[in-house]
Amino acid sequence: MYEKVFESTKLVTPDGSYDAWRHLFYLPAWDAFMAVGNSEYARVFRDGTKARFGVRSGGYEPLGRVRGVPAWWKPWTKRLHPAFEINGLPDDNQVLNPAWEVEYGVGPSATRQAFVDEAARLYLHQATMNRIDVYDLGVGQVLYQITHNAGAWFTSVAWADAGQVACLVKSTGAVRIIDYLRGRVVVEAGRVDPFAVGAYDCRHHNFVTLGADRKVRVYCRETLPANLSAPQFEQAQVRALKANAVRARLTGQDGEPCAGWWVHWELLGVGQGAALGYLDRNVSKTDEDGWAGNLYYGPDDGATGQSRLRVRVVY
Amino acid sequence: MSLWHIRTVSPCMEYIELGRACYTTTPPLWGPDGLIYNGHLITCPRHYKQTTNDVANFFYEPGNDRLIAHLLLNTTYWPGWDARRYEFDAETGKWLNRDSVLNRSSDSWIGIWGAAWTRDATMGSFNKIYACRNSETAIREISWRSAEPVEGGWWVDPYTWNPKSIYSFAVVNRVDGLLAAASSWTLDCWRNIGTTPERFAQLRLPNVLNYLAYESRRNCWGITRDGIIVKADYQIPRWEMTSQVQNPAADARGYYITYDTKRKQAVVFRWLPDAADGACRSQLEFYYPVVKATLLTQPVPVTSLKAGERVMLVSHLVGDAGEGVTPYTVEGELLPPAEGYLATPVSGTEFNGRACFIYQAPWQTCTETLKVSANIEEP
Repeated sequence: MYEKVFESTKLVTPDGSYDAWRHLFYLPAWDAFMAVGNSEYARVFRDGTKARFGVRSGGYEPLGRVRGVPAWWKPWTKRLHPAFEINGLPDDNQVLNPAWEVEYGVGPSATRQAFVDEAARLYLHQATMNRIDVYDLGVGQVLYQITHNAGAWFTSVAWADAGQVACLVKSTGAVRIIDYLRGRVVVEAGRVDPFAVGAYDCRHHNFVTLGADRKVRVYCRETLPANLSAPQFEQAQVRALKANAVRARLTGQDGEPCAGWWVHWELLGVGQGAALGYLDRNVSKTDEDGWAGNLYYGPDDGATGQSRLRVRVVY
Repeated sequence: MSLWHIRTVSPCMEYIELGRACYTTTPPLWGPDGLIYNGHLITCPRHYKQTTNDVANFFYEPGNDRLIAHLLLNTTYWPGWDARRYEFDAETGKWLNRDSVLNRSSDSWIGIWGAAWTRDATMGSFNKIYACRNSETAIREISWRSAEPVEGGWWVDPYTWNPKSIYSFAVVNRVDGLLAAASSWTLDCWRNIGTTPERFAQLRLPNVLNYLAYESRRNCWGITRDGIIVKADYQIPRWEMTSQVQNPAADARGYYITYDTKRKQAVVFRWLPDAADGACRSQLEFYYPVVKATLLTQPVPVTSLKAGERVMLVSHLVGDAGEGVTPYTVEGELLPPAEGYLATPVSGTEFNGRACFIYQAPWQTCTETLKVSANIEEP
């Protein structure tokens, strides 16, 4: 589970009482989000401030695009058009797929998103709930497939970084970061709360969602700690006058590692007795795999007895 | 307000009063008081002999330094309609030909052909007025007085171009041979209009266009039917700005924009429904062509909230339509009791209005309150 850093008190509600949000896109030029309803465009800020932006024109379906600015698919012509960077609206002057028509079965929709990388000449289409087919944007042939086993359609496929897309499932909140260009594998998996529409903020590397309760939630791309393991000595036999490596692992709700968190170490006595020995550090940071390490030095006066090690994380 | 509001003149015009007690029931077309058209206009509580039927044209006329509106009116007097030219002072919005219009002088009468067959006129090259037509596909130079085509005046017919096009709104730049024109959602940009016209680009609008106005050889302004104001560079072309009118009203019957090239300000004619007694409520709104900051969004953390680490918080200084405002300085202050500290207490806004603050969190769990503020000065 990714760490939720903000939840708005403001509600982002469409103007029309029967309208509903269908898409959410991060626009780098705005540093805000474009919410697309059935009949409305709105600019949404992270704190839930909404400014109505316009009326949705028929005939265009948005999809994710390289470098964060979305693209629009025009079903009538089967062409993909980039969005204007300044307002996110379709730019009919440019066609990203002049030689290949994106047919209805391959085009994006609110329930089954797609992604276009015109720089690498690739088009990502969800062939099944567990697989993405990567098309050659020039000729429309499947170049390769990427299996992700999410078991659901991604309702958001947004550019995350060079060669990577962030894919989100609204019903479960499942997240997959997929390297579609080089490794062609899932490089990161995680989860946010289930939502109505979601986006990836490629500037700050956050997930931003609009929930069914119409609140904005911001998740940073770091796992929220849920469990800190008991300290484990690398060698079961602790020796005096020698540095004994000891470590503890910080993990999230689903067992995923939590990197970059400060772990606080304390050496305590047992009962009335004083603590025996010394710790090398009072705090240490977890590594990429969630492990925080320390060194324990046994007593140097030959004393024997028991001590306790306490570890904790503050957040 | 989104664009920087200067003043509103409300109402900017009036209708001719009945001059006697209004009718308790709608008078017939032909009755004791003679021929009365549109009897509902003078049925209590309504007591005016006119109402606005359509705003045909609204533009800045540089030769006389006036704002001109050509209106079609429904009337109780013969023949049941009227077509008048309303002239407003470009500086103050004062209605200059009030007496002429209210006295139904021939001086302000423009005739049905100009008002009904010409639409959405705006100033263009050489300070002339150009308009699309309801009766033909050509775009013509028209008279600011009568809205009728100038004899021997300049014209083009986009229906003869490739692709064949029919427009409702057009901005004419004869100097550079450019034309920016729209019929609903898309602003088409043409070049070489004097020789071999070529549609070289299109700009998608956020809603159906309601009016288009010329600013210069490079820029034009548009307003949508719901009051969104856009500025475009039709030479590149690209969108320059998206904003909106002050307090867009759901019941507004139309927005019409023009650009005062002398004072460099945008003027909007907001056509509002009549008051309950039939009085005119339409108004003129004057704006500087810059966005006024009206909102500072709540600072939101965008990095992990780890104890002992630095946390980045982002806030936006924006106008009512969410437009970023720059350059401004946003100040941040941790309210006591503060346990961490603010590493950047001051931040300048970016083009999108983003201001960024860095907070150093303490080692222990805490709750902090960050107050952000910006000082907006009137020009």
